[in-house]
Formats: sequence, structure tokens, C-alpha cells
Amino acid sequence: MRKLYLILIVAFQLFGFAQNKEVLYNFTSIPQSSLVNPGADVSYKFYFGIPVLSGVSANLGSSSFSAYDLFANNGVDFNDKVRNIINNSSSKDKTHVNQQLELFSGGFRVGGRDSQSYISFGAYQEFDFLMYVPKDLAILALDGNRDHIGRAFNLADLNVRAEVLSVFHVGFHKKLSEKLVLGGRAKLYSSGANATSIKNSGFIYTGQNAVTPNVYEQIIASNLELKTSGIATFTKDEYEGSIPKDIAHNTFFNGSLGFGIDAGLTYYFKDNLQFTASIVDLGFINHTKDLETRSYKGTYNYQGANPSFDPINEPGDIFDDFENAIPRETSYNKYTTWRPTKFYSSIQYSFGESRSNDDCNCKGKVTTSYANAVGGQLFIMSMPVEPFVALTAFYKRNIFENLDVKATYTFDPYSNKNIGLGISGTLGKLNMYLLVDNVLEYKDVSKANSIAFQFGFNFVFQNSED
Amino acid sequence: MKATFVKSISKILFLSSLFLSCSSDLDFDQTKDLKLQPVFVANLAYFNVPATQLVNDGSLAVYPDVTEFDAFKEKFFRDNLVKTELDFEIDNTIIRAFRIDLLLLDANDEVLETDSYNVPAFSGTSNIIKFPTEVFEGPRLDLLKRTTKLGFLVTMAPGPPLDQNSVGNLKFKSGATVYMVIE
Repeated sequence: MRKLYLILIVAFQLFGFAQNKEVLYNFTSIPQSSLVNPGADVSYKFYFGIPVLSGVSANLGSSSFSAYDLFANNGVDFNDKVRNIINNSSSKDKTHVNQQLELFSGGFRVGGRDSQSYISFGAYQEFDFLMYVPKDLAILALDGNRDHIGRAFNLADLNVRAEVLSVFHVGFHKKLSEKLVLGGRAKLYSSGANATSIKNSGFIYTGQNAVTPNVYEQIIASNLELKTSGIATFTKDEYEGSIPKDIAHNTFFNGSLGFGIDAGLTYYFKDNLQFTASIVDLGFINHTKDLETRSYKGTYNYQGANPSFDPINEPGDIFDDFENAIPRETSYNKYTTWRPTKFYSSIQYSFGESRSNDDCNCKGKVTTSYANAVGGQLFIMSMPVEPFVALTAFYKRNIFENLDVKATYTFDPYSNKNIGLGISGTLGKLNMYLLVDNVLEYKDVSKANSIAFQFGFNFVFQNSED
Repeated sequence: MKATFVKSISKILFLSSLFLSCSSDLDFDQTKDLKLQPVFVANLAYFNVPATQLVNDGSLAVYPDVTEFDAFKEKFFRDNLVKTELDFEIDNTIIRAFRIDLLLLDANDEVLETDSYNVPAFSGTSNIIKFPTEVFEGPRLDLLKRTTKLGFLVTMAPGPPLDQNSVGNLKFKSGATVYMVIE
């Protein structure tokens, strides 16, 4: 049982901040920063990530409640907690989990010794879950309709998507001049399991009107649809395999395929004034494997029994009518989902020349490096109801030649006091990084609305070391 | 150089300590206490019979009808239903008195319960009767849950004759309030 708690606690901690990697963004001493901006000014002779440990990230976010609100051991009745959360949530509030695990990654410089063109590649596994609070349906389940006469319960509140996928990618970036770096990345998605129910509509209405022949006016208008790929097999009675094993296998070897691109740039207005922008996961997945779509579509006006006392025109069975009006249908059509597309941009001002440990500058090139940088970042991510927008202010400092730290302050829908910290250090050729978001919440993670962390290990080989 | 190294390690450790976290005591067993107690209202039955459908020479007449009623077919609904209230309202604007019998019938057409509602003849003033709420709990609720058909028996008491030109309607409406407990 304790183990289960632990898993649940970890699972809750894994929820995150809408995939905004604000600490990683433009943290160019970490090679993985080119995953959030393929045009980041990252340079190396070559690097490779330690397999499975080069990029581990998880985010947990819940905009209207925390684990503490729901599970606190404080004597408050669980049902009251649920009711409070529902009352304090809106249908725009959401719970979001994103987890990524880099399986392998690497990069190398192409061209001659003075070339500034780089190729990077890798594969990672990703799990993504997004659910909006189904407020109206929750109220209907908690209260029923008696105390809500005249209200239409909105079925569009049912909005959820979940996906397990693997991503194989190859990127290229080139420092075209001292001022401009351009980069792009092509991605092949392989989705092992997907469930999407994001375009629902309809309502459940109960009204009361003295002039109608009936006590109540009751209408259900339903346009509900759940599309799944890679899941239908597991719901069959005859299925006897292991679900995690089969999902993992499908994710890497038998997934529904998709394609996407990332693109980005870095531009120096001046030596110490830098602008960056990137777009990540502009792509789609074409779901073709193990498909099943379930839908309930139609309109039903519930009247109750209606004897006519007329043996010739007997009305039919009232529940048969319901099943005819809103039939449950299953189809097996292919469908396409769009990846949640992310847009980042930043502006950075650097100051304070850093002391270099180099005894001399043998190459004769004069490049100024700065110890401090301040700036702002913008993050936008596409979501079913409305885009997620976050603004970040950051301070970056190069403490020693091989140790960089970055602190961020972020405003987003989950929090307005989200402080993030990141460090990236290099010992010999081993680069280590740890990025943590919402550090203030770590004094009691159960009360956090969002938590995110990322860490990894790489071997990085620089020019000067050959 | 060595001092720098030690310094950087200690800095890493210092920063790492920031990442150590605490958590309040959480109790996930609480989910077992989840108990939904919604109360739903729904139409039960209604009809509106015009006097012209009841053409009669003034003697007693009986009009029967039976409709299918599948609400209790769903096991989930049956299992979680703890109480039902039925409300009836009759509006009679016909110059004859009526008795409406509602019969709860099971799958074998056995009568489980009969409820009778009387309404006097229309005499020119408002003739709407709201009957006391019928409460179904315990054994009475168990009988209700076996209901698969609703029988209606409208008995028109003797009185003035009705013809194609007679005016008025016999209107019946009923609503159900169902109390559910889902654990």
C-alpha cells in the first residue's frame, strides 16, 4: 500500500507547467537547449548524451487545485473537498502532465575545423495528458438536476486528450554570421496510444414551464466523440497480454506515424543584445493503427410515459426512443491529431565581462564573454480551449568557466510566483544539469499547483580541448 | 585550481539542497469515502384527453392504457436508487368527475401497486388538484423497482352526456424525484 502511495505521489509530482521549459530555454551550455530552440547558439565539436539519462523531464500542473486540496489528511470529509474543488474550478481549469525521457542523443560539427554547422539527433519518449475540469458534469453527478432547474449542463466541458509517443529527430543549425544562427529540426512521431475527446458539444437541460403539458421540459442534445488509436485491443475481453509492455512496443515499433518540424533562430543586435525565437512541434500524427471511435450523437426530448387511451396509435417504449435518438455508435476511421505546438521567444541583455581562466588567447580571435545576462521570455502553447501563455523574466550568471546558473520568474495560468532555478556544470567532459521549476512550492509539494524538473548528463567535447 | 573545484562542488550541493522537498501528510484512502448523492427530477407520465375523445351518454365509462416503462431496466440505476417521490397533478375542465388509477405492473403483468386519484366535475372554477407526494422507500421502493409497465385506468363517473361539441380536457401530469447514493 505504501508503494502505491509513493507511486501516486510521484505521479502527482509529475504533473507540470504546460511543457514550458523556461529554465532550459536558451541555456546554451546544455546541448538539450537546442530541443526547445533548434536555432540556439549552441556549439561543440561533438557531444552525446548518456543513454536514458541525458534528458529526464516531468511536469505536473493543475490550475485550480493541488494534491493537498484533494488528499490532505486533515479530517475534512473527502466529499466536501471534491465539492470545494469543483466549486472553485471553472471549465477552463486544467490538469496537465507531461513527461519526457531522452533515450539517446548526440550531435557533431560538420565541415572543417572552423565550420559553424552542427547536426544533432536523438530519440525520446513522451507522455502527455491534458484534461479540463468537467465542471458541469461534475455538478450534475454531485447534485443532480433538481436544484438546477433552468440550467443547461454543458457537455463541451468534457475535454481530454492523452498520448504516449516516441519521437525520432534530426536537426541542423548553422551560425551564418557573428550575428545570426538559424536552425531546424525534422521529427518523426510514432504514437503508441492516443485518446482524444476534445470537440464535444451539447447540453443536458431541465426546465419547468407551467404551460407545457408535462411537469418538466427535458432535453439532452449530445455531440460526444472519443477517438482512440492503439487502445481498442486492450478493451477486448479476450486480451491477455501486458498493457504497458504492448504500449511500449507499439510506441517504438508499431505506432501511428506523424511528422513535424521545429525551427528557430538567434540574432545578435549587438554583442550583448540577443533575440531568439523558436517554434517546436509544428506537426501532426496520422492515426492508423488499432482504431476505435465511439460517439453519442443526437437530440432527445424526454417526455415520460404518455398513454393515449387510443388503442390504434400506441406510443412506443420511452427508452427505445432514447437509444434511437442518441445511438451509441462505433466506427473505425483514421484520424489526424495535431501536436501541441509551442512558441518561444526571448530577448537577452548581457553585461560584465567574465574573467577567463585561459592563460592566453591562442587563436587570436577576440570574443567577449559576459558573466551576467538578464532578459525576458515568452511562451505560447496551443491547447484545445485557449492557448497557454507564460511570461518569464530571467537572470543568468556564469559563476566559473564551467558552471552556469539561471534563475527565472514566471507568470502563467498555474502560478504568479513561479521561481525556477537551473544549474549546468561541466566536470572534465561531463556536463550535468538540473533544472527545477516552482522552487517555492518544494517546501510542501503537495500544495503545489505545478511542479517541474529536468535533469541530464552529457559528454561534451569542445574545440579548445582537441 | 583544486580550491575552485571544491568550491564549485559545494555550490552544487548548496543549490541541490534547495531541491529537497517536503510534503504534507496525504491520505489517498479517502477516495473510498467518495459518496455521490445526486437528486434528479424527471417526467413520469402525462396525458391530455379532450372531452371529444370521451363521447358518452352519461353512464360510467372506463378507459384503460398500458405503456412500457423501462427506467428500472438499468442495474446501476436500480442498485443506487434509495428513495423516489412521485407527484401528481390533475386539471379537469370536463363536466364529469374522474378517478385515475395508476397501476405499477411487473414483467408478468402482475399488479404491484395501485394508486388512485379522484377529481370532481368541472363547475366553472379552477379545478386543479395537486396530490400529496407519494414516497417510495424500503419495501415499497423494492416493488417500484420491479415495475416494467405503467397501467392507467381512467374511470369517468356518471353525469351529463358528452358529445362532439363538449368542451374541456382531462390533463394529467406527474413528475418523479429520485434520490441516489453512489458509493
